Amino acid sequence: MKSLLLIFVCVVMLSCQQDDDNTPVQPVNDNFDTSKAALVKMGMLEGVGHTVSGTVSLYDSNGAKVIILDPFSSQNGPDLKVYFSKDSGAKEYIRLGDLKSTMGKQVYEVPAGTDINLYKYVHIWCEKFTVVFAIAEIK
Amino acid sequence: MIKTLVLVSMILFSDSLIAQQKKQVNNYLNVDFGVASYRGSLSVSVLHNWRLGARQKMGVGLGGRFTSFLGANQYYITAPAALTSGSTGPFVIFKENIPENIDSLLVKSPQVNALNLMINLDYQISRKITVGFNIDAIGFSFGGSKQANFMSEATGMNTTADPTPFNVLLISDNDQGTLNSELYLTYSLSDAWAIKTSAQFLFTEYTTITKVQAYPEENDRFRNKSLMFSVGISRKL
Repeated sequence: MKSLLLIFVCVVMLSCQQDDDNTPVQPVNDNFDTSKAALVKMGMLEGVGHTVSGTVSLYDSNGAKVIILDPFSSQNGPDLKVYFSKDSGAKEYIRLGDLKSTMGKQVYEVPAGTDINLYKYVHIWCEKFTVVFAIAEIK
Repeated sequence: MIKTLVLVSMILFSDSLIAQQKKQVNNYLNVDFGVASYRGSLSVSVLHNWRLGARQKMGVGLGGRFTSFLGANQYYITAPAALTSGSTGPFVIFKENIPENIDSLLVKSPQVNALNLMINLDYQISRKITVGFNIDAIGFSFGGSKQANFMSEATGMNTTADPTPFNVLLISDNDQGTLNSELYLTYSLSDAWAIKTSAQFLFTEYTTITKVQAYPEENDRFRNKSLMFSVGISRKL
């Protein structure tokens, strides 16, 4: 019986693979000329159990909507995404993409046809482990 | 006199048949641990197995199996065959999946328990070694509500899901609920005890509290298919 337990423990340990899906840490500086777009909404990111800070802005550039994180800094984590959500719990959201970096100016396109009046929050979300890193209410 | 002889021979013959049948039936208690990446299972089963054939090499059995599945951050995908394969007929097993119909449900800490009727087939390849296959056929599941993230391309919903309560083995994705199966090998240590190793294929299923999938039709059932390495013990009762 002890041998069986030992085998089981060994197999469990071997099966716990190391993940290498952390967000890049190299600072980014996406190109977006805010002088040629209209600021629609903005808000401040607040960390939720994690160290995250920055400003979130929603711009309208000739009908195309973009979310800009600038300035931005975040604690690293696996599988971090940017969610554009209807509510603070991200019960309904649009995934804008993988977080490009833990630092620097980042631009994310909002899908065409999105009713921006219904989406009032931006989340930095660890998708793999269902953990919210930060939230910003934009208005 | 002839009648008496016939009667006596019938009684003797039926007695020997019963005695032979008693020899051909064995009961087993099996305990197995399955493991794969970020998930594991414990299953306990009781099996009533009949030995068949002149050399009693083959076995067919029925039993009951309790399976408990535990995982972390497991992806479940659209379950109904009508969506995954576009049909529900008997030939669905030969149909390719339709990727655009399949969405994901990421369950943060899945834990599903199932109690099912189990079917067993085995073959004794030597005095000590037996290979076999078993599969759950019908039963029910239970477990707590879990936080889950439904993902359909760029959109998603954070929701709650419960284990699908009713389990039934049908064909391919027509299956419903939580069903366990094993392709196994046992090695007898004594008349009563054997060690067992298997490839365990465990389906678990969650139903979301609302029909979160909208395209191509509404759906609330999501399935995880886990292939696990399993070790265990078998005790003849």
